[in-house]
Amino acid sequence: MKTAYLGIDVGSISTKAVLIDKKNKILARDYLWTEVDPIGTVKKLLYSLSDQLAKINEHHQDNPYQVQAVGTTGSARRLIGSITGASVIKNEITTHAIGTTSLYPEVRTIFEIGGQDSKIILIENGIVVDYAMNTLCAAGTGAFLSSLAQRLNEKVEDIGEIALTSDNPTRLAARCSVFAESDMVHKSQIGHSKKDIIAGICQSVVTNYMNNVAKGKRIIPPIIFQGGVSKNIGVTKAFERTTGHEIHVDPDSHLIGALGTAILAKNSKDPRPFDFRISEADFQTKGINCDKCANHCEVIAVYQDEKLIDAWGNKCDRGRVI
Amino acid sequence: MTKYKVSFPHLGNYYVPLERLFTRGLDVEYVVPPAITKKTLELGSLHSPDYICAPFKFNMGNYIETIEKGADTLVQTGGVCRLRYYGELQSQIIKDLGHDVRFITLSRGALSKPVTLYQSFKEINPAMSVKQIGSTLPVVMTMIESMDKVEDFVRKNSGFQKAPGVLETVQEDFMQRLRRTDSKKDVKKLYKKTTDHLLEIPLDKPKNPIRVGVIGEYYTIMEPFSNHDIEKELAKKGIVVDRWVNLTNTLFRKDWKRKKRVRRYTKYFMGATSMFTVDQGLRFAKQKYDGIIHVKSFGCTPEMDAMPVLQNISRDYKIPILYFTFDSQTSDTGIQTRLEAFYDMIMMRKGGLL
Amino acid sequence: MVIGIPRGFLYYKHETLWKGFFDALGITYLISPKTNQEILDRGNEFAIDEACLSSKVYLGHVHWLIEKCDKVFVPRISSYGMDGEVCTKFPALFDLVTNTFADQEIELIHYNMDFRNADAEAPGFVKLGKLLGKSRTKSLRAYLIAKQGEKTQQILEGNKVREAMEQNGLKILVTGHAYNLHDPYLGTPVFEMLKKLDTIPISAARVHDKEIHRASHQISQNIPWVFNRELVGTIAHYQRKIDGIILITAFPCGPDSLINELVLRRIKNPPVLQLILDGQEGTAGMETRLESFIDIIRFKKEGYYDKI
Repeated sequence: MKTAYLGIDVGSISTKAVLIDKKNKILARDYLWTEVDPIGTVKKLLYSLSDQLAKINEHHQDNPYQVQAVGTTGSARRLIGSITGASVIKNEITTHAIGTTSLYPEVRTIFEIGGQDSKIILIENGIVVDYAMNTLCAAGTGAFLSSLAQRLNEKVEDIGEIALTSDNPTRLAARCSVFAESDMVHKSQIGHSKKDIIAGICQSVVTNYMNNVAKGKRIIPPIIFQGGVSKNIGVTKAFERTTGHEIHVDPDSHLIGALGTAILAKNSKDPRPFDFRISEADFQTKGINCDKCANHCEVIAVYQDEKLIDAWGNKCDRGRVI
Repeated sequence: MTKYKVSFPHLGNYYVPLERLFTRGLDVEYVVPPAITKKTLELGSLHSPDYICAPFKFNMGNYIETIEKGADTLVQTGGVCRLRYYGELQSQIIKDLGHDVRFITLSRGALSKPVTLYQSFKEINPAMSVKQIGSTLPVVMTMIESMDKVEDFVRKNSGFQKAPGVLETVQEDFMQRLRRTDSKKDVKKLYKKTTDHLLEIPLDKPKNPIRVGVIGEYYTIMEPFSNHDIEKELAKKGIVVDRWVNLTNTLFRKDWKRKKRVRRYTKYFMGATSMFTVDQGLRFAKQKYDGIIHVKSFGCTPEMDAMPVLQNISRDYKIPILYFTFDSQTSDTGIQTRLEAFYDMIMMRKGGLL
Repeated sequence: MVIGIPRGFLYYKHETLWKGFFDALGITYLISPKTNQEILDRGNEFAIDEACLSSKVYLGHVHWLIEKCDKVFVPRISSYGMDGEVCTKFPALFDLVTNTFADQEIELIHYNMDFRNADAEAPGFVKLGKLLGKSRTKSLRAYLIAKQGEKTQQILEGNKVREAMEQNGLKILVTGHAYNLHDPYLGTPVFEMLKKLDTIPISAARVHDKEIHRASHQISQNIPWVFNRELVGTIAHYQRKIDGIILITAFPCGPDSLINELVLRRIKNPPVLQLILDGQEGTAGMETRLESFIDIIRFKKEGYYDKI
């Protein structure tokens, strides 16, 4: 039997999953929009990966791959970790660092811009030495790009290419998405062209990132750019203009977090073989407002086929469910 | 004659010595504010200017909740930053809300001028006796010193208990007993007993444990609710949590060498608590701690101005520093993610994650 | 040798003093240009994200001067007299600049003013002169000439305000820190808009009159910061002569966050508007707010509400 490891990255905008072998090679991959149903999305992804794996195993019938451990990451890592019985539940910063260094051991700086978060990770000799995350709001993240693209009646996937056609990006207020939107409307009303505004949005993502997330950090090449927004060529080019360095974007740049957590699962001392049939089970979650004190903790309880399997969110023992 | 019902906003566990100061020293009743909850902060934010620092909002919430509990006299302290003007505005806001209470701001008094301090106390209770306050103050100081030492021990060892929560139980018990002590001698005896007890609790501490220093703004660092219990979260991961800022070190101890120690980074005094922050940050760096966590509330100017200095210390000594800014909107999840990543980073640097 | 003077913060208070001093000593200086988007961009790049807009502007000016002059002039002012405290930003400024630009080729020159340590203004300038290779007598003389210039300037500013108060028309007192009010990129547009709305905007940020400042006690007795005390003093002093008050503040100014709220709560007449500048919002939003504020004052004055 050959071993495989599953990594699932459930972000606010999209969910990514990879299957790797013991040499960290990606055997199967897929991603989907998260929408508001992370469990449903993960189930769909698991069907897809299960099919892909079945096809691979057709060639290795005597020695099929079997998933030995699962790792999860992203904002719903706890929930998905709990329903998949994951060996590893890790935060996005660590998984991105691990995933990236596995592909590019010489990397020094990682820019990551996802749906609602952005981060910078500094690496020396394959080890994270410093990092920072956006602090106050979602300005300059994927959600910000999506909402502005929608306002402009463009698909978020297309705006990168449109930005490249502009020679004169419009300057936009960037600190806050609300201001950025009203400023954008204002700029269009005084006559700026759409392509210049779109290029301005891409530039403002970078300006915001440099002034907020990367403030005070020494940026040393090689630089890898990843996360959903790395698929936007307009932003990548704006990064190159601003930093004066070449920016690498891996074709699998959106999968790095999933890859990282799969690697961590592989190295886990607590392997738990995984069965794809889990996607047929019925999962329910319930938010319970604990009323035992004025903190009103929101406790989340997860049920598999009506049986309580996990719960969290309580600050103290009074709110314990499991 | 009925006694005044006096209250002062929460700051960690310091309501215990404060209660002593007011009840014994000034012969008034003391209303302990209800424990800070989300509701306290919501209430405080609702009645505070939008872009003010978070401690103002917490204090405001405490005041409103203690008025509901029966307090008729509210006290605010002075300070070396915006804090010194809190009282003036807070008393106005409370008046505008229609509460008929006395509001006394100690900022008019200065520690360096005992007469002004006396006048402020006199305002709280005109019938106070100098003798009484004179005999109570040393007890209060001893209480503060012993509780600070106990807290320090718990912070440093909590992550290594064989049975989690035992140290905390001893500490809580100590605080309850501290309220019932009578004299300086009592306090010292209780402290001795508690230390003996604490030292008996079995620990599972590695030879070279992970050590993290916590530095930052005065209120946010000392009021666990306002920093989302960051110290406990760190300790849970098996970390020695070290924090120098407490009332003992900042109010009772003078350190004339601080200026010289930080000279490489700052020529002048940069205001308020920034020098504590720089000095302690530098100490943790020089003593090769595994990391530093800097906490402050949104918009805290002195701490903000210390940050470029910390960034230089971080570079020179290759020590990672994680910066947290708290406002009334900060979510627990974001903090958790950052703390986890910080821990992982330290483990990677130590070569232990993979 | 060329000294670079950042056009930000206390430049707007001490322009005459500083220039006068260097002029009297025959020192060449270069003042950074009026604040513009590019300068603010430089500031945004180096300042801590949540720092006040005025300090971002200041750091932008400092950065502009690097490589264009030999030394950048960044005085450290901790207090003006025993009860003349300032926001902690000012005592921190010298070290803040040093640490922010630790990576750059920058040399600072300064004078230190800290009354708690008995560092007064005159000795500060003598020391500054020494750093510039000037003798004690020459520096002292230069300082006295410059100081005289500053005092004259202050008297003229006071007269200007007094004259404006006697004019006929809708008078709007605009208060705020001089470095926000008189910065061409921050406060000046407000004055222009107010003029367009056919009102008389009056700035009292540069008035230096002890009597006026003492009037602040009518509104609040314990304002620790001298600049805010001055601003509140002008409000109290001119309250009855004006038709409206506009408080301009730069987000998120520490002292203003408290004092403005207090003014809003304690001054009910004339109407007060707080304008928060954050360098983000376009002018469109500001125009709308100013226009409606002036409309309200006019309607009220003309008894419009009674007619409805």
